[in-house]
Amino acid sequence: MMGINQYLKKTTSVAPLAVFRICFGLMLLGSMIRFWSKGWIETLYIKPTYFFTFYGFEWVKPWGEYTYILFFICALSAFMVAIGLFYRIATISLFFSFSYIELIDKSTYLNHYYFISLLCLILVFLPAQVYFSVDTYRKKHIRAQFIPQWNIDAIKLMMAILYFYAGLAKVNSDWLWHAQPLSIWLPARNDMPIIGFLFNFTWIPYLFSWFGCLYDLSIPFLLWNKKTRVWAYAAVIVFHVLTALLFPIGMFPHIMMVAALIFFSAEFHQKIIDRLKAFLQLPKENQAIQSTYTSSPFLPWGFALFFGFQILFPFRYLAYPGELFWTEEGYRFSWRVMLMEKAGYAQFTVKGAPGQHAVVNNNLHLSTLQEKMMSTQPDMILQYAHYLAGFYAKQGFRSPQVYVDSYVALNGRLGKPLINPKTDLAQEHDSFSHKTWILPFNDTIKGF
Amino acid sequence: MLCHMKKYLLIVLTGFIWACGSNGTGTEAPTPQEDGKDRKAILSHLADHIIIPAYANFKVKLDAMQAKSDQFVNQPTMNNLTAFRSAWTEAYIEWQKVELFDFGPAEKQTIRNFYNIYPASENGILANIADPSANLEVPASYAQQGFPALDFLINGVAKTDEEIVAYYSSSAEGAKRLAYIKRLTGRMASLLDKVITEWNTSYRETYISKTGLDISSSTSLMINGFVLHYERFIRSGKFGIPSGAMLNGVIAPEKVEAFYKKDISLILVKTAHQAYVDFFNGKAVKSTLEGPSIKSYLDALKAKDSATGKSLSEIINAQLEATKVKLDVLRPNLYEEVKSNNQAMVTVYNEMQKTVRLLKVDMTSAMSITITYTDNDGD
Repeated sequence: MMGINQYLKKTTSVAPLAVFRICFGLMLLGSMIRFWSKGWIETLYIKPTYFFTFYGFEWVKPWGEYTYILFFICALSAFMVAIGLFYRIATISLFFSFSYIELIDKSTYLNHYYFISLLCLILVFLPAQVYFSVDTYRKKHIRAQFIPQWNIDAIKLMMAILYFYAGLAKVNSDWLWHAQPLSIWLPARNDMPIIGFLFNFTWIPYLFSWFGCLYDLSIPFLLWNKKTRVWAYAAVIVFHVLTALLFPIGMFPHIMMVAALIFFSAEFHQKIIDRLKAFLQLPKENQAIQSTYTSSPFLPWGFALFFGFQILFPFRYLAYPGELFWTEEGYRFSWRVMLMEKAGYAQFTVKGAPGQHAVVNNNLHLSTLQEKMMSTQPDMILQYAHYLAGFYAKQGFRSPQVYVDSYVALNGRLGKPLINPKTDLAQEHDSFSHKTWILPFNDTIKGF
Repeated sequence: MLCHMKKYLLIVLTGFIWACGSNGTGTEAPTPQEDGKDRKAILSHLADHIIIPAYANFKVKLDAMQAKSDQFVNQPTMNNLTAFRSAWTEAYIEWQKVELFDFGPAEKQTIRNFYNIYPASENGILANIADPSANLEVPASYAQQGFPALDFLINGVAKTDEEIVAYYSSSAEGAKRLAYIKRLTGRMASLLDKVITEWNTSYRETYISKTGLDISSSTSLMINGFVLHYERFIRSGKFGIPSGAMLNGVIAPEKVEAFYKKDISLILVKTAHQAYVDFFNGKAVKSTLEGPSIKSYLDALKAKDSATGKSLSEIINAQLEATKVKLDVLRPNLYEEVKSNNQAMVTVYNEMQKTVRLLKVDMTSAMSITITYTDNDGD
């Protein structure tokens, strides 16, 4: 107990946190601009007529044309976080606006968006504005040079969880013994300049799989350890540049490369700030501030609770029978990234009174992305079935029954039906309990 | 620190080079050409030995049809009608061998929509005859032109050939009716010319050089078009809709292809199906030899059913063959089959449904075909 108290009292320079705040805010601002300029606000959040909400978050709805305002709020908040203006309000607004956007439609779910949401939440409670921020120019008294050591460690721990769990998820027979899905994805890039030819070798996906797994499992420790840090960071660069070149994963590699800087020393970050100050020609401080920021004594307990949850939550899949990759019960929010090449086909039949019978054309109701995501994920199939029941009831179908003819291929296995075709999905309801109408996988993927 | 980084990179690079070099004591890396994963070789073969020659073959038939059509327009006689009809039949059959190339120039011109949307809209056609300036470039006009409209005009406007000839010889309306035929065949010829010209000039190079698998790449566009063709135009259009398998189970014999001519509907289906099989296997139009193809690519990727070890290309070919067997027992007139032997039609539909799954899910997944622009982290 004494040890914990001592740890909580330990202080360190605020510089790494200030640099992190600036980088994180700017990366998010960049993300928002990128999203906007690609027209994705329109295609993902305005055009679709139906949205796959998250269980318990059915009240989250897109704002129609005003969704642009939502993105504007998010981008503005990110910018304010970066420059440290009205920091507390800005972080809260960033957390809510970003999370709201991500909760609109499950089909756009990405682990790194979840990661960003969590970081935003963490930042709400960390004093990243007390140094090198607009707020400190407005209110000089809030300035501080030192903060509790655990403030920085909280961010490191969040990153460590992401990496380690992503690595743990790769410890499975598909990834390590069969090099799947990389054996499918890498040959697709064999026309890349310089390294493309490598992907014609069958052993290359194995090399990448093993390297990726070991990288994820070990990188948090190697970054944390001062002796290995520089090498580890070089590996971070190599790894994420490769993934950025090979896969369409957007901003994620860039965010991770920048975020991993948090592991570097205070002197390193101080140098960045000094250079930035010189570059921006900001006035020099008259005297060095020596004060230390103190946070509420309850805050560490809040963080302990948060991390306890983070550590346990990804293991919730153990509470479900069946193969996780097949049922995806407990798959999201668990740092399972790039693990599956899963493709599917779902054809719905709606029946009403005798003579009322329709085969659904999914294109009329869903976007390409939504259809792709829905056809492999049982909870989305169920949501869509309920939507269809409502839709056809309005068309005059009497108490519509909804059946699905589904077919899913996973990691190079030949496809097979995912959902029991005899189940009237309109009668089934989503919950956290096991979905009995998912057909068995009849194969085993060993490991986590 | 920088020095350390350099050292590290050096080690990584050395490791990489060593790893590549260690592959063989002297043996060279297999070129993608040799091991079948070279998409440029596949695209070149498909363009040069299938797509472009198939369009050329079709053009011969379409030109012949246009010539016979012009003769009939000039002199609407019994003989000219018969000649036109037989040229129309041949062109319609040949069309089935190019309809599947619904990507690139064909997609740009939406040639399929203007060539073969059925059932024909009789009222629309009659309205267009009355109004020679009717717009034929809008979606509403799809069913008022192309092969189905000609089907109606030369086989469906009256019961007997004498009456059909009389329909066009009418002093009051005959000229307008013939003018519409001429307008339709002229439009078909000009659309085809645009498609062929583009293939013969810039598009071939674009097609074979965009070798990626992203959404705008040739392979991705081609495979998406190829799968869609089977699902929507072979399975649904030719069987699912007329047999009622897709809607209420209520049969709709009037929705078969070539509804007015009737007795060629099966040969159209069989031709389309065979063209599909041949394209999959990369069978050259002229030499009939197989070259680099979707099949050889799947084989090079070692796509197989892990449970049985059977290759995916074999499984797809077997399923296509099983469908063909079901097609072979049908009688030439699918209109009659729907009316009196619909279960056989539904059986074909069900076989085709199995093929659709293999193509749409197993094949695209094995090839890692992208279908959207948005980011993803592999689910």
